[in-house]
Amino acid sequence: MSLKNAARIARRELRGGLGGFRIFLACLALGVAAIAAVGSVRQSIETGLEREGAVILGGDAEIELTYRFASERERAWMDNAASAVSEVVDFRSMAVVGQERGLTQVKGVDAAYPLYGTVQLDPAMPLSDALAGRDGLAGAVMDGVLVDRLLIEPGDRLRIGAQEFVLMARLIREPDAAGGGFGLGPRTIVATDALAGSGLLEPGTLYETEYRLRFGDGIDLGAMEAAAGAALPAAGMRWRDRRNGAPGVSEFVERLGAFLVLVGLAGLAVGGIGVSAAVRAYLDEKTAVIATLKTLGAETRTIFLAYAIQIAVLTGLGIAIGLVLGALVPLALAPLIKAQLPLPAVFAIHPGPLAEAALYGALAAAIFTLWPLARAEQVRPAALFRDGALAQFRWPRWPYLVITALLLVVLVGSAALLSGLERLTLWSAAGLFAAFLVLLVMAFATRKLAARAARARLLRGRSTLRMALGSVGGPGSEAGSVVLSLGLGLTVLAAVGQIDSNLRSAIARDLPDIAPSYFVVDIQNDQLAEFLTRARDDAQVSRVETAPMLRGVITQINGQPARAVAGDHWVLQGDRGITYSASPPSGARVTDGTWWPPDYSGAPQVSFAAEEAQEMGLKLGDDITINVLGRDITATITSFRDVDFSTAGIGFVLSMNPGALQGAPHTHIATIYADQAAEARLLRDLGAAFPNITLIGVRDAIERVAGMLAGIAAAVTYGALATLLTGLIVLIGAAAAGERARTYEAAILKTLGATRGTILLNFALRAAMFGLAAGLVAVAAGGVAGWAVTHFVMDSSFEFEPVSAIAIVTGGVATTLLAGLGFAWRPLAARPAQVLRASE
Amino acid sequence: MTDPVISLNDVRLSLDGNAGRVDILRGITLDVARGETLGLVGPSGSGKSSLLMLMGGLERATGGRVSVLGHDLTAMGEDALARFRRHHMGVVFQSFHLIATMTALENVATPLELAGVGDAFQRAEAELAAMGLADRAGHYPAQLSGGEQQRVALARAAVSHPDILLADEPTGNLDGTTGQSIMDLLFGLRDRYGSTLVLVTHAPDLAARCDRVVHLVDGALAAADARDAAE
Ligand SMILES: Nc1ncnc2c1ncn2[C@@H]1O[C@H](COP(=O)(O)OP(=O)(O)OP(=O)(O)O)[C@@H](O)[C@H]1O
Ligand SMILES: [Mg+2]
Repeated sequence: MSLKNAARIARRELRGGLGGFRIFLACLALGVAAIAAVGSVRQSIETGLEREGAVILGGDAEIELTYRFASERERAWMDNAASAVSEVVDFRSMAVVGQERGLTQVKGVDAAYPLYGTVQLDPAMPLSDALAGRDGLAGAVMDGVLVDRLLIEPGDRLRIGAQEFVLMARLIREPDAAGGGFGLGPRTIVATDALAGSGLLEPGTLYETEYRLRFGDGIDLGAMEAAAGAALPAAGMRWRDRRNGAPGVSEFVERLGAFLVLVGLAGLAVGGIGVSAAVRAYLDEKTAVIATLKTLGAETRTIFLAYAIQIAVLTGLGIAIGLVLGALVPLALAPLIKAQLPLPAVFAIHPGPLAEAALYGALAAAIFTLWPLARAEQVRPAALFRDGALAQFRWPRWPYLVITALLLVVLVGSAALLSGLERLTLWSAAGLFAAFLVLLVMAFATRKLAARAARARLLRGRSTLRMALGSVGGPGSEAGSVVLSLGLGLTVLAAVGQIDSNLRSAIARDLPDIAPSYFVVDIQNDQLAEFLTRARDDAQVSRVETAPMLRGVITQINGQPARAVAGDHWVLQGDRGITYSASPPSGARVTDGTWWPPDYSGAPQVSFAAEEAQEMGLKLGDDITINVLGRDITATITSFRDVDFSTAGIGFVLSMNPGALQGAPHTHIATIYADQAAEARLLRDLGAAFPNITLIGVRDAIERVAGMLAGIAAAVTYGALATLLTGLIVLIGAAAAGERARTYEAAILKTLGATRGTILLNFALRAAMFGLAAGLVAVAAGGVAGWAVTHFVMDSSFEFEPVSAIAIVTGGVATTLLAGLGFAWRPLAARPAQVLRASE
Repeated sequence: MTDPVISLNDVRLSLDGNAGRVDILRGITLDVARGETLGLVGPSGSGKSSLLMLMGGLERATGGRVSVLGHDLTAMGEDALARFRRHHMGVVFQSFHLIATMTALENVATPLELAGVGDAFQRAEAELAAMGLADRAGHYPAQLSGGEQQRVALARAAVSHPDILLADEPTGNLDGTTGQSIMDLLFGLRDRYGSTLVLVTHAPDLAARCDRVVHLVDGALAAADARDAAE
């Protein structure tokens, strides 16, 4: 019965219109929209990756081999199993045009390439025509970035290794670009046949071959994978198929998306404060109605239900607006996003992320409105006869507290589950909650301090400041909602700012002057002596280090499958560089065991990087089996040594005695330390002398990484700005809600003789105090969050970044000031007689 | 009548209401002498409050001249009016109009502070004590009864020893006994500071305590009063 009555009351109250709920709806809708939009974009990309899995991979399945082509037997198996096979070889090299040279990731293809999708060229032409070349020269197509850097145009000649090519077109779109992960240089595509004379595919050089297979419909990819495993030698072979064409990329997209959803949840929390304030203001206004209803015999339950129904209706409306926005904005921006994205994306209305956003919105609304709703119960009929301004703080009855806590657990739990980033979600939630509490304490402290300061004898006579302090500290103060909403928004921004600046400085700092200028790969055995002489004789080269290098996969530890023993350690993921050396390399410190004697020629021995060995649980005397170019070598661990991977110098996890590896075909790597001014000349000199070697500029590589990080930081900053925007709406809501009270106050003050300047200053001081309080907490909390991320996630040392901190405090003060003053105009302009008469 | 403190000359007030322009005051000419207590009576809606607001510079006349203590209020800007009020006028309203975010003491001290008086709080305390509210100084308006609130409002209006006290039905929201004591306090203030008092009231016994009473009917002075004023 009470439900029916409640619904009737709710309907009558809502008939009055939604004018008072603009802030409520805006906060909720914005929060839901942000989450829905991020989720929709993520889902669009994931759907695209899934649907285009074969295109991205380049085939229904791919068999990847390292440093070798498939044997005749292997190729025969593939031709037999698949309806079509395409062979691709992929390696790093230098593209050379006269004096200019640039690092490039070369792809050698056969006539069958691409099995799926098309290569887009400028000028438009079929790939086969482009690769056929002209005037007897083989053709090449190249990423426009590199074309511009080399100052060439289609028709010009270029060299890769010892082989000359003619540039036929710019490469606009490579269908399988995302599948290979992030290459080190811009792409060049040539025909593999044309590489025969380049000297780049010699035994021991670093290249990969990928055999893309196309199958008929209805193929069981799992069974085919098993068949390949049985038929082909397992070592050095990697199987991938379209079920997950670009595992690296899709994981990255999923992570970044999940992280942005977390930022969106922070925005929803900020919006929640606005929602809560709106409900509180609404119910305060309804005190008389509630008291009257109670006088007329309405039960507490009926009244609670009546207002709960109203809030539920409004919540539904807010979520619906948010979902529409969150679904439509990505659709509207789809062409723009697609142009920026090197990935296929299928933009559509994806129900999954929308449902997720709706769930968060509903939970957040419930959490933030239950408390103020509970106050509706506590209104006594006597309130009709007393001023409500000084309503005492009262805890709601315990069931409300329990339900609020439960809802919070459900919200955090579902976010953790749905984002797949459990730890990060829990930590973020804990951080947000802590920031919330600190801000609550700060709001409380601001009020108390202001109230006390207003009483201070020192301030007597400084009427404007005292009045401002008095109203910040007095009953009906806006401190709570303003400090909380703005503070939380600024906290998220401050944290992002601190993390971003620390990330940047970590890159700059951890790349000290001791990092080499160039990393050189593919130095052949017979080139090594001459290479070293040339490099060392150069006056501007301070140091050259070199080491032989092979690559291999650790397959077994003490006769057991390696992963079964040491788990999913990064050392076991894919192949690792392996070196050999008669004596411990200079600078390396043997921490345990002994290095083999210089003339040792017994059973293979290995020295393992100490930290990684400890993580993997290896001890001296353990046997590890390494597959090098298809051959298994079992070696005993006889020493551990410290290896520093952070300086970009030469560092190997595995170093063996020379006798164990010397026989295998291999190349050498080198690091060159030189003046930055000499780098360009060195690149030309060494490149010209040794056409087959590849010089990787460390500075370039780092810039690429830094550029990628900057992109991520930008995405996160946009997320944080959305949070701040919600904070602003809450702020404006608070300022607007307080306008009537301020108008009244201004009228009285004018009656008592205050000029408009005095009143304006009074309002400005108040706003500045709120902004300052919010800004200070934001900087402190953001600093702590920044420290936690830098310390625990990035494993790097934290340095407080003052510029963004100062900007945030100033921004906080300026924002509250603007919002406060924006809503001061009407109070100041109103004529006292009109205002006072209206509230007679 | 020599040296009027308040002098109204053909004062008119029209306001734009929902139903178009309303003529609220239609040409009022009236002088109030120094130290005089003037009662303003008339039916509800006749324009008493509006007239009082005009005298206090809280409303701007749309015609005629309002002059107070020799200053032409109609020619003064809003801030000038505020400064003028802080030194010369105290206003008391039917519904008190205390600032809810200030304690009783702060409410009373505010006009003095605005005037830049050094010992604002001591004087405010003394004024509150004179109203019998010494022990209520730290209370917020919502913590005070109606009578107490009106006594705070009286203290606030009187604390700067104004030349003119304007009171708009100051007992209208109070019961008889409380109203009586408020009225005693108000007349006491007038006597103590020698202020001129203009009092809007519905109560005949209060009107009887005034030196002179004018009747307002439909925005104009009643015939007899108009004749008196013209003398
Ligand atoms: N802003 C306004 N716009 C239009 N009309 C107004 C406005 N303010 C007041 N009035 C009208 O002006 C007239 C005079 O109002 P006023 O408050 O001066 O009367 P009053 O004599 O004080 O009445 P009461 O005894 O009820 O207090 C009333 O009819 C009122 O409705
Ligand atoms: Mg009136």
